Amino acid sequence: MSDKKKWYSLNLGSSQKETAHSGCGCGKTSGGCGSHQKSIGEEAKKDGFEQVFDVKMDRRSAFKQLTASLMIGAGAVSTSCSMIAGEETKEKAQIDWEEQFKGNYKLMSKEERKATVDRLVRSYQLRKKKNITMTTTDAPEDVLFGYAFNISKCQGYMDCVSACVKENNQDRNSEMQYIRIHEMKDGEGFKFNEADDNYYHEVPAEGHFYMGTQCFHCDNPPCVDVCPVEATWREEDGLVVIDYDWCIGCRYCMAACPYDGRRFNWSKPEVPEEEVNKNQHYLGNRMRKKGVMEKCTFCVQRSRSGKDPACVEACPTGARVFGNLLDPDSTIRWVLENKKVFRLKEDLGTEPKFWYYMD
Amino acid sequence: MNNVKILVGFLVLCGVLSCKHKESEYHSLGEKIEEESKKYHGTSISSEDYLGDIKTIEITEGGHTFLIPERKGQIKSYPCLECHIKPLEELQGKDIKKAHWDIKLVHANENAMNCITCHDGSNMNNLQSLTGKMVDLNQSYQLCSQCHNNQFEDWKGGAHGKNIGGWAPPRAAMTCVNCHNPHQPQIASKWPVRFNTRKVQERE
Repeated sequence: MSDKKKWYSLNLGSSQKETAHSGCGCGKTSGGCGSHQKSIGEEAKKDGFEQVFDVKMDRRSAFKQLTASLMIGAGAVSTSCSMIAGEETKEKAQIDWEEQFKGNYKLMSKEERKATVDRLVRSYQLRKKKNITMTTTDAPEDVLFGYAFNISKCQGYMDCVSACVKENNQDRNSEMQYIRIHEMKDGEGFKFNEADDNYYHEVPAEGHFYMGTQCFHCDNPPCVDVCPVEATWREEDGLVVIDYDWCIGCRYCMAACPYDGRRFNWSKPEVPEEEVNKNQHYLGNRMRKKGVMEKCTFCVQRSRSGKDPACVEACPTGARVFGNLLDPDSTIRWVLENKKVFRLKEDLGTEPKFWYYMD
Repeated sequence: MNNVKILVGFLVLCGVLSCKHKESEYHSLGEKIEEESKKYHGTSISSEDYLGDIKTIEITEGGHTFLIPERKGQIKSYPCLECHIKPLEELQGKDIKKAHWDIKLVHANENAMNCITCHDGSNMNNLQSLTGKMVDLNQSYQLCSQCHNNQFEDWKGGAHGKNIGGWAPPRAAMTCVNCHNPHQPQIASKWPVRFNTRKVQERE
């Protein structure tokens, strides 16, 4: 196990011993132990509770994990078993307990997905006294989402940014924004270090052009490769998504992204209750927590039901084109085939599904 | 003989493996799109519901068929013949109450454009092309495309203009006059809708 580690750890005392025994607690270095060989069926992916409970590990780490989980759970248990606590408090505690031990979204069965969505909806209802709808719509067949951006049309009005913040319930305190609009000088090419992405003057400014960046939903996404817990992945329709409940907040993906597409919640995200978009998707705009990554999902809650992402809908200039790359009659395909298009840092081989074009 | 077979098998396997990208079976995204769209048979997703209350008409131009918003119903003073019962000459006197005082033509120059470049003086309900052919008010893009040919090509394909509803079929797009005022097509500059105050602090 330890030789497959993707990360670097200091070799102090205890970990040295573990390395010598190659992760097995039996103390034997060769054969005999039995736990070294995987039996048939064991290599299958574990699901739900099993991801946490039905895992072979040595005594030391077992105790470590148990204690950690018990510490978290103890509070919940004490409330749920308490004679004094009300019904609602108990239910909240029960939900928190089950949410704590749920599995990775990718591995959940349909029932488990429904269960976790129901818990999240109920939890919101208990806490905020408001109803939300949350879906888990899967990637539709025969669809690969793509995006094109007309740099000669964008005028820098920032309506897209505003619509995105509202649609995706982004933190208002830290003014998180998935989209950046860069104001660049005409005739000097893309110089991001000299561009201004936080201007406030009448636009379009003389002698400047505007270009937007956001998550490009790479077909070969480096952010997915570096995630140590597989909390982010590319779906079949090309969207790169995050399971906010599986993310550990290590920010490797943020460092790996060559396009500055990912954002981190340094504080607890807060949205005024009346501004919360209640039409949510598990992998999209549901409320995040402190210490997890998030980013543009091409508005998965909208795009998978046939709508354009909020930025496309809000753009008053028509600089944003969105559609199905597999449909030969789609407008995005026409743009790719008939206009001069390019992508950012194409030489990296990340294959972003976000093209820029000019009139 | 057996060794040769194994060797050949090994080489074929190497060839197959080295051709493959890490996870996908294609060399590039372009190839993937090309290959996978060959077996495309349409999606079950429709954007029709998102058109809302917009009344549309279907047009076919240069091999593209799509919907554009209907126009006549959106113009408050249509039909024009409600007022234009007399010929234009009789309405131009100084003693008659002024109409359309709010319309100022800022579109090309006086040599190229005046009212009757687009409006039909003898039948105010319709528009007319440069050669005097009748053009329906709902299809006013046919007038714009007489000069703005590049924009027209881009609009038909979907590179110019704005989509309505969603990305899925049926395709619906704004027509020229939904964004551009035909009398003053230039879009004025304005202020951005927001400014990020936190970004300023963070970068200090």
